[in-house]
Amino acid sequence: MSIRRLYESTFIINAALEDSEVDEVVKRVTDYIEEHGGSFVELNKWGRRRLAYPIKKKYNGFYVYAAFEAPANSIPLLERFMILEDNVLRHLTMQLDPKLREFRKMRAEAQALRAAQMAAEANKPVSTPASAEASN
Amino acid sequence: MAAPTGNNPNPNTINSPFRQKRNQPKKRTNPLKKSRMIDYLDPKFLGRFTNDQGKILPRRITGVTALQQRRLCSAIKYARHLALLPFVAQDTR
Repeated sequence: MSIRRLYESTFIINAALEDSEVDEVVKRVTDYIEEHGGSFVELNKWGRRRLAYPIKKKYNGFYVYAAFEAPANSIPLLERFMILEDNVLRHLTMQLDPKLREFRKMRAEAQALRAAQMAAEANKPVSTPASAEASN
Repeated sequence: MAAPTGNNPNPNTINSPFRQKRNQPKKRTNPLKKSRMIDYLDPKFLGRFTNDQGKILPRRITGVTALQQRRLCSAIKYARHLALLPFVAQDTR
């Protein structure tokens, strides 16, 4: 029995596929992880994004981010599986530093707050002239 | 007699205490906090440390600590692998 560690894996799926096919690929990968004793902490589909450079003559990719806890000896198998999976253009599995995870969480929260403030500010000028007109 | 400062139109700046000596490099300021985590999945942040060709800027210019520069460097390389950052920018279009 090997040690269980926290890993994160980001992979790019061929975006030329239909949404249902993309989901199928994601499911195949996640099932594979779970079959080998992994348990998911986070599964985040970023969606279609433009690639910074073409990979296999494709300019767009569907990004999926997964954080999971898995036994260390299952990772080489997962890597092998990702390589053999034709619809996964790229993958990167890393050990997840809890500090980094916390940092991302904090940043996401800060960003959400800022977005909320921006939205509030955007609404203000719209609402104030309307209310001013109403009072006049 | 050709003093290098001879062309300077404003004599005040020559003897100004703020004027830099010739070979004294500009004082660097660290753009990041010392404890700033470096996330390889954040292309916007990492893009600040590459030039318009997509090359990684040297520490001489970024001014970050040695440890941060090392982490930035590997983070940029991971981001490139995931096509979040270009290897060579302004090439495809």
